[in-house]
Amino acid sequence: MTATISRARLRVLFAFFAVASLVLSARLAYWQTIGRSELLGQATEQVRSDLVLAAHRGVIRDRGGAILATTVELRSLYAIPGRVADRGATAAALAPILGERPDVLRAALESGAEWLYLRRRLPEETANRIAALRMEGLGFEKEPKRLYPNGMIGAQVLGFVNDDGLGQYGVEGRYDDMLRGMPGRLVVERDPANRELALGLRTGVNAKDGQEVVLTLDLAIQTAVERELAAAMQREQAASGSVVVLDPRDGAVRALASSPTYDPSRVGAATNEALRDRAISWTYEPGSTMKAITIAAALDKGVVTPKTSYNDVGYAVIGGRVLSNALGKVYGPTTVAQVLERSQNAGAVFVASKLGAPDLRSYLEAFGFGAPTGVDLAAETTGRVRPLAEWYPVDLGTVSFGQGLSITPLQLAAAYAAIANGGTLFRPYVVASRRDADGEHRTAPAAVRRVISPQTSATLRTMLTATVDQGIANAAALRGYSVAGKTGTAQIPSDDGSYVDDAYISSFAGFVPAEDPQLVVVVVLERPQSKLLGTLPAMAAFKGIATDALRYARVQPDRP
Amino acid sequence: MTFAQAVRAPHVRRVQRRPLRQAVHRRAADPRTALRSASWEVRSFLLVSGVIVAGFLLVLLYLAQATAVSAAGYEAQRLLAQRDEIRRQNALLEIESARLDSPARIEAAAQRIGLVRAATIRVVPAVEIAAKR
Repeated sequence: MTATISRARLRVLFAFFAVASLVLSARLAYWQTIGRSELLGQATEQVRSDLVLAAHRGVIRDRGGAILATTVELRSLYAIPGRVADRGATAAALAPILGERPDVLRAALESGAEWLYLRRRLPEETANRIAALRMEGLGFEKEPKRLYPNGMIGAQVLGFVNDDGLGQYGVEGRYDDMLRGMPGRLVVERDPANRELALGLRTGVNAKDGQEVVLTLDLAIQTAVERELAAAMQREQAASGSVVVLDPRDGAVRALASSPTYDPSRVGAATNEALRDRAISWTYEPGSTMKAITIAAALDKGVVTPKTSYNDVGYAVIGGRVLSNALGKVYGPTTVAQVLERSQNAGAVFVASKLGAPDLRSYLEAFGFGAPTGVDLAAETTGRVRPLAEWYPVDLGTVSFGQGLSITPLQLAAAYAAIANGGTLFRPYVVASRRDADGEHRTAPAAVRRVISPQTSATLRTMLTATVDQGIANAAALRGYSVAGKTGTAQIPSDDGSYVDDAYISSFAGFVPAEDPQLVVVVVLERPQSKLLGTLPAMAAFKGIATDALRYARVQPDRP
Repeated sequence: MTFAQAVRAPHVRRVQRRPLRQAVHRRAADPRTALRSASWEVRSFLLVSGVIVAGFLLVLLYLAQATAVSAAGYEAQRLLAQRDEIRRQNALLEIESARLDSPARIEAAAQRIGLVRAATIRVVPAVEIAAKR
């Protein structure tokens, strides 16, 4: 028996399938044409990942190539609490490795967060120990960290990098744009296992790494400077201190230190005072180290010679005010050379009177006081030398021996470098070269101006050498080397416009070897316990620094 | 039903529907025509089969190539990750080397083992050496 299907039913069935096919075809045609972009976008969105490629921050090296700062990727430990099977056991296992209390870790795991960092930027050994535990729900993510292998050495020059990856203070701050580089971008398609698809979309721009920077700083000299400064600070219980070492031949900064200081890898623990680089961001009244500048100006102007003499009565009267020698000493007949050797205030006033206020002010400006040196470090301050119109008659006298004006230790070092090198003021600089994809770019030393003549420079070098050999700065003398220098003991201005009682800023500025100067060293101590004898620890620090630096640089002795 | 049978079927049906005696007789009587007809069917079959097999092989080749490229891509990624990790380890070692070379660390280590700074270092002046030569 055969079943028969009526033609009408067949037609209906055919019509149904025909209509269904048409509808489906129309829908298919729609998604293939008009709706194609939308579908493509949705599909791409599911597999596409848009990444920011971080640029590697440039390495900072000393002049010998030693690494001072570099960036490495360290592992950060994260947890996905939902996947942690036993939170108590996990916390207990991690606690001794992380040096944290188990209950603190457990509380973090039970905080309700879907994803959280347990500890960021772990030391490599710690990360390895945790990885060996193979605990479920824990993972690592790499994050860049700026490391300073020499710890606190050179911190004030280097500066630091904050949590946002921005350089602050020092070279890190001043050269942040160059060191940071340019981040790139990568758009790729990924499979469900988060692997890049070789045949998928891959577009983007490569990151441009930061430039490598080589400093003029010498790690060996910097270490000696920090050691001597720390020792002087500890002995004298000084409020602060700073040291600058310059190469007088081109203005290169060989070392620069400031105390109190900080650890650049633990900036959060540093005080505001510790972050302040006192060599460039702090001003003080210099005291007698300025007598060398006053006498240089007078010699250069030709108003005195080293043998010009006057009768010292222990004080000088200027503008109706009496300005006395230290401790009221009376020296009688005195030459200008002896004014330096004995550091006589009345003698400095005598020399300044011969020079006159306009010329003294003009030479101070020429030596770079009252203006930034232009050193390539962040946050340099200018100090203050008042305009001539604001000078009282007595100011000619006080300024001649370093009171009534404010300077930075770096300005004083640059001025002494001009005396040492034959009379040219150089702009101090810290970055010797930088290296990028185009090669190495070296910094050319910048001579700012000629301040005094070579003859004046030579004369003053002789006078400053005598000051160390037979004068007030004898404690700075070095065996085997000629030393030129001058001490300074300055009063500290108080808020009421007078000076603080029985508190001083002690300093020493000098250069070695005096015959062929290769290093200028300025040491400043604020409020040393030795008070008026505070120049002694400053000179002791100078000796320690100069001895190490000369040995290290293998400078030939110029004396038996 | 094979492809050849399917191709042949209409003729068979047509012959059955119109059984012309002469025609049947003539065909049966001409073996060369039958042979030619069979040869054409075989050729068609072989051609279509060949196209299908070639297409299949091309698809297989494409799939094999795509798989190989994809696998190579994963391998390249693995090697890149390995390279990055080695670079990271190298950077960590450089840091460690710099830390160990630090003059401050060396000085502290020297003090720990009882070494003291030399009070004086004798330097032979260059002029003396030159004079002796």
